[in-house]
Amino acid sequence: MTYVHGKHAAPKTFLSKYVFSFDHKVIAKQFLWYGIFFLFVGGLMAIMIRWTQAYPGEAFPVIGSFLFPETGGVIPPDTYSMLFTLHGTIMIFYAITPILIGAFGNFCIPLMIGARDMAFPLLNMLSFHIAAVSGIILLASLFFPLGGAAGGWTSYPTLSTLIGSPGSGQTLWCLAIFVLGVSSTMGAVNYITTVISFRAPGMGYFDMPLTVWGLWLTAILNAIFLPVLGAGVMLLIFDRVFGTTFFLAGAAATSGTGDPILFQHVFWIFGHPEVYILILPAWGIVSDILSFFARKPAFGAKSTALAMTTISILSTVVYGHHMFTTQMSPLLTQTFMTLTMTISIPSAVLFANWLGTLYKGSIRFDTPMLFSLGVVFVFGLGGLTGLYLGTVSTDLYLHDTYFVVGHFHYTMAASVLLGGFGATYFWFPKMFGRMMDEKLGKIHFWATMLGLNGIFFGMMVMGFAGMHRRLYNPFVYEHLEKLLPISTFVTWSAILMGFAQIPFVINCVISLRSKKQAPDNPWNVGTLEWTIPSPPIHYNFEEIPTVKCGPHEFGNPNLPEGKDFQYQTEDLVKA
Amino acid sequence: MMTKTAENIQQKEASQLGFYIALVSWGMLFAALFLSYALYRFQNTQWPPMGFEKVSLLWPCLSTGLIALSSFTIHKYQVAFHSIDRKNAKVFLGSTLFLGFAFLVTQKLLWLSLENSGLVTSSGIFASILHGFTWIHAGHVVLGLAGLIYLLTTLKSDHLGHVRFENRVENIIKFWHFLGIIWGLMFVVLFLI
Ligand SMILES: [Cu+2]
Repeated sequence: MTYVHGKHAAPKTFLSKYVFSFDHKVIAKQFLWYGIFFLFVGGLMAIMIRWTQAYPGEAFPVIGSFLFPETGGVIPPDTYSMLFTLHGTIMIFYAITPILIGAFGNFCIPLMIGARDMAFPLLNMLSFHIAAVSGIILLASLFFPLGGAAGGWTSYPTLSTLIGSPGSGQTLWCLAIFVLGVSSTMGAVNYITTVISFRAPGMGYFDMPLTVWGLWLTAILNAIFLPVLGAGVMLLIFDRVFGTTFFLAGAAATSGTGDPILFQHVFWIFGHPEVYILILPAWGIVSDILSFFARKPAFGAKSTALAMTTISILSTVVYGHHMFTTQMSPLLTQTFMTLTMTISIPSAVLFANWLGTLYKGSIRFDTPMLFSLGVVFVFGLGGLTGLYLGTVSTDLYLHDTYFVVGHFHYTMAASVLLGGFGATYFWFPKMFGRMMDEKLGKIHFWATMLGLNGIFFGMMVMGFAGMHRRLYNPFVYEHLEKLLPISTFVTWSAILMGFAQIPFVINCVISLRSKKQAPDNPWNVGTLEWTIPSPPIHYNFEEIPTVKCGPHEFGNPNLPEGKDFQYQTEDLVKA
Repeated sequence: MMTKTAENIQQKEASQLGFYIALVSWGMLFAALFLSYALYRFQNTQWPPMGFEKVSLLWPCLSTGLIALSSFTIHKYQVAFHSIDRKNAKVFLGSTLFLGFAFLVTQKLLWLSLENSGLVTSSGIFASILHGFTWIHAGHVVLGLAGLIYLLTTLKSDHLGHVRFENRVENIIKFWHFLGIIWGLMFVVLFLI
């Protein structure tokens, strides 16, 4: 296919350049700042939750008396529910999604496939602005009477109906999620089309970097399953605003009963793929970075791509494992259990390929590589602990304990966060034309890694001992009293992880302000974005490149002395 | 008419593909509704639930007729757009708009007749489904009508058949047909069976 996307003229005014920009690179940065802002908000909420779990009844330090004057700085129980609800919502939908999918999806896809922009730049711009509206709705909901949503990020009825949560907070939460769903679906349509129609000449699907594979599969899952959540929250809004009874059962519904469990079905039909929506971009990025810094071709790159595809397909038929305790028929629970276990097979392929890539590589421990190795470790732990939750017999005991919290944070918080940081350190020079500081990066990595393992491993230990995940003060119960020291340890790990982000912020600031221009290809990598200047010109490629080999051509013995990689635009060297 | 460049052709392919993906997304929204409907039907042994009768088919039938006819007229408009037949384009786009608005009117009359027969929104799951699902569909029809109103700009002297409008015309028409199909399904599922 010949590539002919036009070279549009560069915008001149501040508004058209930074606010209403059609340029995928600018939109990527908008999403990046948006995500980092919410990462801070969600992180602060996490610290407040942890404080309550370690020092119940004690005032939150420094800002507590300002935020909760009527209790003298102590976080009240209803606010606590609000905090864990919005922590989950914000981290998943407003931090991880914008950073991994919005920022790196937008930045990497066109650059890595040799395109001048996304297929539909206007749609791309609208997608960010709609996401911004959604963020404003969510933040505004906190200031309505009775406060924000407090029914958990899953918002199960009846907790989320008018009976469980009166006030506008929950309604606005539903609205915000619906609006954000529209934004993400628009993004997904754009990503899928761009990858299919705008690959540079010569680039087959298996010549795409695995990062693009991950982002592309994520977009496909998003386009298919976000609307399902959209339908669910829409019906919930109807229940709350117009008095319908979709999710009200029994006496609350006068005749012909609605069904609260139905919402759980709808939620998890979306919710399980959502786990993969979040993790797939990180998997792709890690698969690439491991190869780039081990200076070896990605082991079994094709099978990695196919394993990711298989997981995406399987992820659509396993959602029932979130609902083993809803009196599902045993036939169904066992079916869902078996299907869930099947996912282990492609996951094992993926994981083995990562190890295969590292094996006998000449590994360079730069910051992006450290973060990627971190992902390999935490994802391994998260994946293995998932087996206990996918098995009916053990899940019945572990359901709704801190074990679940520890597990899903390992898979979709820890690994995605580390993957996102790895991506930031890796593409920062291409995005901003400045290198990030390696020393600060390494401090950031080790402190974060230490903190997060303390948090999430500690959580799994507590959960195994039977601690329920949503209690305001679990230590009033005799059987949980003795867990207070572990809980305190988890809290201090969280505080450590919070402070570990300071070097990152400092690093961003000094790197952005430094005068030293980053080289075009600081990591010696052959994918297309490294063939052009840092940062790239307005329409990316002066001439659309022709792709002649794969993205991981490292260590070819036929390469000339002193060179261990080749660009995707070069003919594969032969003896 | 401008000659088509390779860029136009590529953008057209992308536009078609992108819109089909968008329709899959929209389809999933409605699929989730139909799935919920199926579960409600299985859970309630008696349907309509005790104390309710089947809904009169008058307004739903009329809605179906109108939206089916509008699919035909919008198709005629599409033909006229491509063959730069200004007179027919005007007639058929106009009648599609009229039929679209008439569809909304019959929907409003349906909701009123439901309320008159005691099926207010809060009177249980049967009424919830009848109201809620048709609201969501009608909301999309409003969106579709906005698209049709935008298409009025193609009636200007040299806009018919122009490449600049081609993709938008195709996509809005696809969306309109899609809404017709969804209504057809709702008609069968909610009112007939
Ligand atoms: Cu799951």
